[in-house]
Formats: sequence, C-alpha cells, structure tokens
Amino acid sequence: MQVFLQTLIGGLSLGAIYALVAMGFSLVYRTMGLVNFAHADVLMIGAYAASTFYMSTKLPFAVAMVLSIALTGLIGLFIERVLRPLENKDFTLMLIGTIGFGMVLQAVAVLIWGATGHAVDNPVQAAPIELFGLRVRTYDLVVLLIVAVAVVLLVGFLQRTKRGAAMQAVAMDHEAATAVGIHVGRSNAIAFAIGAGLAALAGGLVGPLLYVNPTMGGAIGIKGFAAAMLGGCGNIPGAIVGGLAIGVLDSFAAGHFQGYSELVVFLVFTVIIMIKPLGLFGEMTVSRA
Amino acid sequence: MFNLSRVRLSALAAGALTACLATACGAPGESEESGSGGSGPIKIAVVNAQSGQLSSLGKWEHKGVKLAVDEWNKAGGINGRKIQLDVFDDQGDPTVGTNIARKIASQKYIAMLGTAESAVTIAMAPVLRQYEIPNIASGQSPGMVALKSPYLFLNGPTSTTYDETLAKHLVDTEKMKKVALITNNGAYGKGEHDAFAKALGDRGLKPVADEVVTIDQKDFSAQLTKIRQARPEVIFLGAEEVESGLIVKQARDLGITAPFAGAAPQGTPVFLDTAGAENAEGTIVSSPYLSNDISEDAKKFAAAYQAAFNEEAEMHGAKAYDGAQIMLTALKNSNVATGRKLADAIRAVRHQGLLGDFVYDETGVGIKATSIGVIKGGKLVKAEG
Repeated sequence: MQVFLQTLIGGLSLGAIYALVAMGFSLVYRTMGLVNFAHADVLMIGAYAASTFYMSTKLPFAVAMVLSIALTGLIGLFIERVLRPLENKDFTLMLIGTIGFGMVLQAVAVLIWGATGHAVDNPVQAAPIELFGLRVRTYDLVVLLIVAVAVVLLVGFLQRTKRGAAMQAVAMDHEAATAVGIHVGRSNAIAFAIGAGLAALAGGLVGPLLYVNPTMGGAIGIKGFAAAMLGGCGNIPGAIVGGLAIGVLDSFAAGHFQGYSELVVFLVFTVIIMIKPLGLFGEMTVSRA
Repeated sequence: MFNLSRVRLSALAAGALTACLATACGAPGESEESGSGGSGPIKIAVVNAQSGQLSSLGKWEHKGVKLAVDEWNKAGGINGRKIQLDVFDDQGDPTVGTNIARKIASQKYIAMLGTAESAVTIAMAPVLRQYEIPNIASGQSPGMVALKSPYLFLNGPTSTTYDETLAKHLVDTEKMKKVALITNNGAYGKGEHDAFAKALGDRGLKPVADEVVTIDQKDFSAQLTKIRQARPEVIFLGAEEVESGLIVKQARDLGITAPFAGAAPQGTPVFLDTAGAENAEGTIVSSPYLSNDISEDAKKFAAAYQAAFNEEAEMHGAKAYDGAQIMLTALKNSNVATGRKLADAIRAVRHQGLLGDFVYDETGVGIKATSIGVIKGGKLVKAEG
C-alpha cells in the first residue's frame, strides 16, 4: 500500500508537468489545427531562462518564472508571425516549420548556455512532509498548486472573456469566425504565445526536479504530446487528465515493469488510441487539420 | 475531408517528432576533412558526445586528449609530423556513432579516441574492425571486451574491476550484508548490474532489492520506495551522472538515509551538482583516479589542465589523457604504422599513466585496479581502511 501511494504521488507531480505541456500542444492545435513541434524546445528555453534568472541574477524564483514566461511568450509570437503566411495554404510546410524552429532553439541554447547543461537549486527548501510513512516533497505541492491555478486561469480566459470566445470560434470554424469580424491571425498569435508561456511554466517548474540541458525537451515533449493525444488533442480538460494519466502510468509501469516501463506505457497508450482514435475526450471541434 | 485526415496527421506528426529527435538534437557540425598522406599531419579522430545529456563526459574526454596531443605537437610531433585532432559529435547515440565510424574510415583517419559511452563504442566497433582502425575507448562496459575486436582498447578498467573492488570494500571490509541495487537498462547500467551482482554472488550475498530503471526515467518513486522498505545498508547505483544524481536526490526526499555506492559517474562534479552536495555526502566511489593529488604525475597533469582549460581536472580527463598518451606512444614506436600493425604497437606499449601501469592483454584491457573513495564535504577523498 505504501509503495502504491508513494508511486501515485511521484507520478502526479511529473504528471502535472506533462499536463501543462499537453495543454500547450492542445491550445495551439485547437486554434490552428497545427501540432507545434517546437513546443518541447520552447519548454527547454523556458527552463534555461527561468534557471538562469534564478541562479545567476539571483532573482526570486517567482520573478524568474514570470520573466521566463514573458520571454518565451515572445518567442511564441515570433514563431507564429513567421509561419503566418503559410496559414491555410500549406499545412505540411507549417508543420515542418515548427520542427525547424525546434532545431534552431536547441542550437541557440547550445550557443548561449553550452551543451552541458546545469542542475537547478530547489527554490523550496522545506523538508518533505511525512504522512503515515509517505513522504511528499513540498516542492511537488507547489508544482501541483501552480498547475491548478494555471488551468483555472486558462479555462477562465477561454470561456469567460471575449478574446477567449473568439479563439473558441476560430477553433470551430475559422471562415465563419472571419466572417463575423474575428482576426484569425491575432487569435493564432495569442494561442502560440499562451502555448509558449505554458511550456515555459512547465520548463521552469521541472528545472529543479530534473537537470536543464539543450535536449531536455525530448523526453518531456514526447510524454506531453502523448498526454495531449490521450486526452483528445485540442481538448483542454482532456489534456489535464491525459497528462496526469501518463505521469501516473509511467510511475507504476516503472515499478512493475522496470526496464520495460517505457514500452508498456506506450503500448497502453497505443491500445487506448486504437480503441478511441480521438482520445478519451476527443471531439470534432477542430475542423481545420 | 479535413476531419478525415486528422488522425492520419497525428500519426505523421508523431513520426516526424521521432525523426526530429533522432537526428536533430546535435550541435552544429564540428570540423572534419583534411588531406592525409605519408608526410602530412597524422589524423586522429576524437569521437564523443558534444551535445545531449552525456556531453559533459564528451567535453572532459576531449580536453584530456587535447592536452596530450598539444604536448606532443609542442615537442615536434611524431617523426616531424604534426598530429591533427578532429572532434566528431556522437550525441551519445549509437546510430550517430556508426555513421561517424564510416565517416572517419572514408576520411582516412588512422586511429580513433573515445567514445565515453559504451553503447556507442560497441555500435562503432564492427565498422572500425572492418576498416582496421584502432580505437582506444573510454567506456567501462564488459560488453566491449566481449566483442573480442583486436582493434578495440580501453583506457581504464572495466565494470568488472570497478565493482569487484567495490564489493570487496563493502562486503569484506565494511561487513555490509544488506545491499540494494538500482541500475539503468543502458549498456553502462547493465554492465554495472551484472558485474556487481556477480561480485555479490561470489560472496554468497543476494541483493535485498534489485531495481532496473530506464535511461530516460524521471520519477523513481516506485523503485526507491521498494528499496526503502528493504532497509538496505548501502545502495549500489549503476547509472550515468545526471540520472544517478536524480536518483540520489529523490531517494533523500523519500527519506532514504543509506549511502549510495558506485563507480566512475558517482565521482564527477555533474553527479554532485545534480544530486546536491548534501544528498551525495557519504557516497562510496570505486575509481582508478580519485583525485588530482594522488601522485606527482597527477598534480602535474591537473596543473596543466587547469592552465589550458581553466577548470579542475577530473577522472575522465585523466583517463582520456592516458589513452591519448598510449596511442601517441604506439604511433611513435611503430613509425606511424596503421591498421593491425598499429593495434599491435598499442598492445605492446607499457605505459605508466595517471591511472596506474598499463599492460594490455589480448582483451584490450590495460589496467585492472581501482581504489575506493568517499564523498566528504562535496569532495571525493580516499576511504580509510
């Protein structure tokens, strides 16, 4: 029982990170019908920026995070601006464009920070909380809290604000949205910027848990992408469920299948996707891909 | 029509992502291409990860090799010929490694130094053997010895030596009985697991827990909780620097107080940084090069390293330095021979290096001893007793 619960706790904190990554994938996908392959590398830049601000310039962690989110938001805007001429013209080229941006971001990270990477000090120094023989890292609780707040803010923005509603409209039918006077390009730009911000948030939060280096996006990006697909790409609540599911599945698979855990996780993922090709909460809102 | 293509697109996208990850994660290309001939520079390839999670290893190795080659070049090279050193980035990836093996064969490099990652070396070995290019590698997996390639040499001991020494210290000297294992399923981790489990078995011990993790794993809660319940006196760790650091950090968060024990990776600064010095305190390390003040030669090497690269020397640089010295000595002794003749010349070299006295046998292993150190106050020091 102790192993079971401890494994669950371990899975949830990384699962929350995957959920953030999946939300970024989903947000861009539902708005533009595009999978942003630079997403994982934006996360890496976010992790580097946050950790550099935090450790080198000695800014408080929260401030470093906000700066990092703002910086990567700008990167998101830039990527969208460069790709905009291709919107609704050549979808495949856009896709390849995002892959290209991912490579560029990795190269930039190597140029600025070197290829080796660095460890990040834990901003929450408090000792783990002990409960019935279970140990919960205080930092994990902080991560879960921040992710929850981010989810509430994002859902609130999409459902309660005019801009958010406009983005929903673009997601559902961009031609009709254009007809009622919604600026599709601007809507896309916002989606990209928020998506990048989410990636930076995930990267910044995961830094102290892991190790920051130019290729760190790879493993996290694939799990985050799988989480988005599992939840139903384009569906925000689905992304959260998918992220937590992948995180927990990953942890339990590690305990039971040891070296074959990765294989088991993706087999389970494949079976679910075969049964429900649109993911757990997939719906046909996005009609542009 | 748009709706229909959605699923297919996702599949395509997943494929593209994988392809991107497999090939694109490299740094910009390093230098290559240059003429070779009987009188031109002697071309030696250094193959190591210059990008990715294993790049710190690659950088250290490269610096060690460069230091040795610079010394020789300053002294006039070999037979009046300069030594030309070119770096290739294998990204720690066996597939990239095999491509590089073909590249260095076609570009007529006569010898290769590296890689630090056993899996990459193993992947490259058949190609190097085919083109008769001698290689002094820096990994420690017994899997390399099992290839029985006459062109493959190691610049340090294998896991068998590291782990036999470690087991001897833990079980025979410290009288520990409850030992847990956590290793990864990569070439290095698997080699460590098998070598250490055998050393334990020889002493009639069975590990109280034996957990295997994947090389990309980020959360170790399940396995570490099982280890915690087994209440080991010491935990053997067989994983590379960064992953080892993460395991130790998470273990301490989970309330595990037993010390960790391991080989080369656990003595490195990257391991210390990732784990946090406090968490790594007391880690027991089996290493052929504990610190820069184990001998006069080591002190001299460390000073030169500091002067050249403005950073403190560590074991991997020292190993690579030894390997390069052996390669250059063999080239000199054989009048810049190539192929099998050069391989034989390497085997014939008797070298008093930083790691000890190298005497190569037919397996390509030249050194068979390590010492035990302990991390104290963030530094690796020789263990007492």
